[in-house]
Amino acid sequence: MSSLSLYTVQAVLILDQQEERIYAKYYQPPHRSDEGHQLLFNSVKKQKEFEKQLYRKTHKQDSEILIFEDHLVLYKEYIDITIYLVASLEENEIVLQQGFSAIRGALDLILNSGMDKKNIQENYDMVLLAIDETIDNGVILETDSNTIASRVSKPPTNEPQMALDLDKGFLGAWGFAKSKFQERLQQGL
Amino acid sequence: MSAHTYKKFENSTSGDLPDKMTIYQDCMNTFNESPVNSKRCRLLISRLLRLLAQGETFPQNEATALFFSISKLFQHQNDPLRQAVYLAIKELSGISEDVLMATSSIMKDVQNGSDLIKPDAIRSLTYVLDESTAFSAERLLKSAVVSRHPSISSAALCTSYHLLPISEVTIRRFTNETQEAVLDLKQFPNQHGNSEYYPNSTYISQYHALGLLYQLKKTDKMALLKLVRHFSENNSMKNQLAKVELVKIVNDLIYRDPQLFSQFRPLLSDWLSNKFESVQLETAKLITSFATRNSRLVAPELYAAAISALQSLLTVPRVSSRFAALRILNRISMVSPEKIVVCNPELESLINDSNRNISTYAITTLLKTGTSKNISSLISTITNFIHDVSDDFKIIIIDAVRTLSLNFPQEWKSILNFLIDVLKNSEGGFKFKNSIVEALIDIVSFVPQSKELALENLCDFIEDCEFNEILVRILHLLGKEGPSAPNPSLYVRHIYNRVVLENSIIRSAAVVALSKFALTKNDPTLYESIISLLKRIANDKDDEVRDRATIALEFIDSARNKDDVIAQNLIESKYFYDIPSLESKLSSYISSNTDSFATAFDVNQVRKFTEDEMKAINLKRKQEQIFNQKSETTLDTTPEAESVPEKRADANSFAGPNLDDHQEDLLATKYADELLSIEQIKPFGQLVNSSRAISLTEPEAEFVVRGVKHLFKDNVVLQFNITNTLTDIALDNVSVVCTPEISDEAELEELFTLQVDRLLPSEEAACYVAFKKLDEIVMEGFLNNLTFTTKEINPDTNEPFDGDEGFQDEYEIDSIFLNAGDYVKSSFTGNFSATFDELPCEEVAVFNIQEDLSIQEVVDKIILNSSCLPVESTQFAPSDSNSHTLKLFGKSALTGSKVALQIKMIKSSKGLALKVHGKGEDSLLCSDLVNGLMQ
Repeated sequence: MSSLSLYTVQAVLILDQQEERIYAKYYQPPHRSDEGHQLLFNSVKKQKEFEKQLYRKTHKQDSEILIFEDHLVLYKEYIDITIYLVASLEENEIVLQQGFSAIRGALDLILNSGMDKKNIQENYDMVLLAIDETIDNGVILETDSNTIASRVSKPPTNEPQMALDLDKGFLGAWGFAKSKFQERLQQGL
Repeated sequence: MSAHTYKKFENSTSGDLPDKMTIYQDCMNTFNESPVNSKRCRLLISRLLRLLAQGETFPQNEATALFFSISKLFQHQNDPLRQAVYLAIKELSGISEDVLMATSSIMKDVQNGSDLIKPDAIRSLTYVLDESTAFSAERLLKSAVVSRHPSISSAALCTSYHLLPISEVTIRRFTNETQEAVLDLKQFPNQHGNSEYYPNSTYISQYHALGLLYQLKKTDKMALLKLVRHFSENNSMKNQLAKVELVKIVNDLIYRDPQLFSQFRPLLSDWLSNKFESVQLETAKLITSFATRNSRLVAPELYAAAISALQSLLTVPRVSSRFAALRILNRISMVSPEKIVVCNPELESLINDSNRNISTYAITTLLKTGTSKNISSLISTITNFIHDVSDDFKIIIIDAVRTLSLNFPQEWKSILNFLIDVLKNSEGGFKFKNSIVEALIDIVSFVPQSKELALENLCDFIEDCEFNEILVRILHLLGKEGPSAPNPSLYVRHIYNRVVLENSIIRSAAVVALSKFALTKNDPTLYESIISLLKRIANDKDDEVRDRATIALEFIDSARNKDDVIAQNLIESKYFYDIPSLESKLSSYISSNTDSFATAFDVNQVRKFTEDEMKAINLKRKQEQIFNQKSETTLDTTPEAESVPEKRADANSFAGPNLDDHQEDLLATKYADELLSIEQIKPFGQLVNSSRAISLTEPEAEFVVRGVKHLFKDNVVLQFNITNTLTDIALDNVSVVCTPEISDEAELEELFTLQVDRLLPSEEAACYVAFKKLDEIVMEGFLNNLTFTTKEINPDTNEPFDGDEGFQDEYEIDSIFLNAGDYVKSSFTGNFSATFDELPCEEVAVFNIQEDLSIQEVVDKIILNSSCLPVESTQFAPSDSNSHTLKLFGKSALTGSKVALQIKMIKSSKGLALKVHGKGEDSLLCSDLVNGLMQ
């Protein structure tokens, strides 16, 4: 009997080659504490054990989808990381695939220099946002990578207090630049 | 920490993370700075979240402090920072106190935020609201649901979905808006901020709206029907996830009311050719799993269409589609393999799929579809590639082959050759070799013709085997099967070689095996040689081996020269104890230690089986295992993960009637224990046979009654287990009045009835009716009436009111039949036709069944009625043919006389014709069984 719940995804994981997690999010339907959803994942220790086993089972096995300890797992191995999506056995595999490719596609778009550990760590905020915009508490929120990527903001680049106040006009700017320049010169001396 | 390392973290987003305390301090300082440095804040939040994602956590007061300073950042209008703030709020809300304080800032964003921020703000409401405050978001959520912006609408729908358990009343107020949102195809506004990506609406808010709508209406069947009809029209569903959800709603409806299936038929066949693979898949899943439960409601054309949809999914490039389709086909192959034979060409090509999981599924499915016609070609296909795959894959294949050997005993030759070939010629670890040996052991015990060849090869194998456990098992098998083989001396030589060459563990196993040959009837000359061998072994340097040899010599001597039956039994055990009941008896013996074990454990209380009975039980269990085995088990080879949880997963759709077999066994043992502990029953002696519990009422009746028939040598006891499902009524003096159907010819004499004095609400108790049998085999039907006095319960004391005399009442329950099957136990025979010919008495009967039953249904009924063991896998009727022959074998529970039945069935338009040909050692049992078969 397939479940009609929108809570389709149980976890999204990104693991590195040392079987350590770079990102891990286990979803628990909110406000439903008594239903005993996914008892397997209720402690960090069990989660990490699960991740280790999963990694060993999938490493260097290019099979994309498998059944692991009563869970349907979709995964993709990159150079030094692997991304996983964990769901229950009754879910529709192709629906999950939609959600999974959405995450992958969005990450591909926002990490334009490639999917690897360093890149993910350096742009961790964007990765977090991308996954958060794809899956909300286990509900697949969006399946179009472009839409997701468009909703992920880049980190603020220029510090607002450093910006020149253009309202003061060109002269003001000139004065500001001149005073700065003089400061520098004096420091240099 | 040195200034240098501190700088490193300060500067960029390098891969390493500073320690927890540094991050905490940094966060606290920077978030409270003024003016806010948004770049640095976002960087720190991302570090904080990384820390949390790695499983770190903060104590509540620190988390609250963090939450508080993060919510200060709301004053700063910067969208990139705001997004990060929302992430942090969601993560921290679980461990922080006072999350409510962020509510007003969030609500402000929901109203006035940019399109980028609004959805994030709406989604974070899930975390900050609780039962008492959820209502305040009603207006905001409602206007967000109807928003033209797809992301905003989706966010509001999902948040409502999350909040449903705590504020259903509030969410219900915008049911109409939700319903409109299902059909509203929302597009992104043309100019979407300054993003470099072009969002493309997938209309996914349809999916969220439909999911929410289902939750709001799931109790109302008519509303759901209307909903499906409304949304399936005019191709109004554009989103594929929403369409899949719609299929699932249909599944839910027909699960509740199977009769609805016919009205969905056109819709389903339309969906099978939908452009989305996911919809095809879900529909095919629905049809095939529904068909296993209600085969008659599914037209063959529709079923075939579902199969061909799956078949075409097998060849698509996307891995998960192939995998999903195979999973369903594999499940079907467990129950009706003949239906998927059409997919065999595709399955064969998938054997070499690069995804190992897919190739495994393909091969196991393929093997399930094996019929007597294609087995040899299947076997040769596997032989070609088994040497190239990994160990656990090999084990899966071997298991599948073992299944085949049990289902097609007549094909043993090719299977045996295959197993022997892999045993000898392929490399592999212990698990792999062990699974082959296990398969061989099964073949030897259930296909006697194969014995000689298999044993001979196993003998060769142990000459060069490195695994102790396997060696010991084979030695045991040789000891068990060898003495009855035509040429036992052959095995003695091999076993003795082990004594000479191996370590002490194997030597002791070999001694036991050797001793069994001393009494063989096939070669009396062996006696002398065994004795001299054992005498030689008695000087072994290992004490266990010496001991075993000495004991064996002693046993052989007393068994042969003094005709000591006990010694003979110890060498060649004729009986096997029922292990579960032995276990429960032993544990209760240990726990109820009243006299510090002065009284010895009475082993006679434990049920015993003869070898044939044991085999029958094992075979049944194994075949049922195969039947119940979940496809998932085959893939996950870690032993601890096996079967149990998976049963739960698929039990609803694909379980046969035998699911709770083990529980049934335990229940039977429990009933028997209870029965035998009753004073009045004790004089009846040993319990001969007990039937399974039969339901005598509807499961939702006021009083649920299950009946069990217990058979003693001269008595019959009917047990009625009564459950009182009423909440406020107690039943006093509950008993069952059994009236024989044909009262004047009754061959049973009622002795006494044991009533239940008081049955409180939701309690279960047993009431017994005992009879004396006048004849050895008595068949009788009983009309049963439950009689009792109802008394109202005082809710305070949970006892009836004082002085309430109550109402005398009766309640009619279904009849119970004592038929010939109750006198029979299933038993195993390796060669049915030979046994059948040998039996002296004969009885033939012809039946005509007018009702519209399929052959399989009749077969199931006959097996249940006769309690015989179906042999040569005739219990599976082919669904594509109109005739079938069922072969059954059993033994009388009273005397142990054999009985065999051969039942030919032909289905025609007029109904089902049965010709029952029974043979047995006891003419009375045989004729009763044959004539009472269809009762």
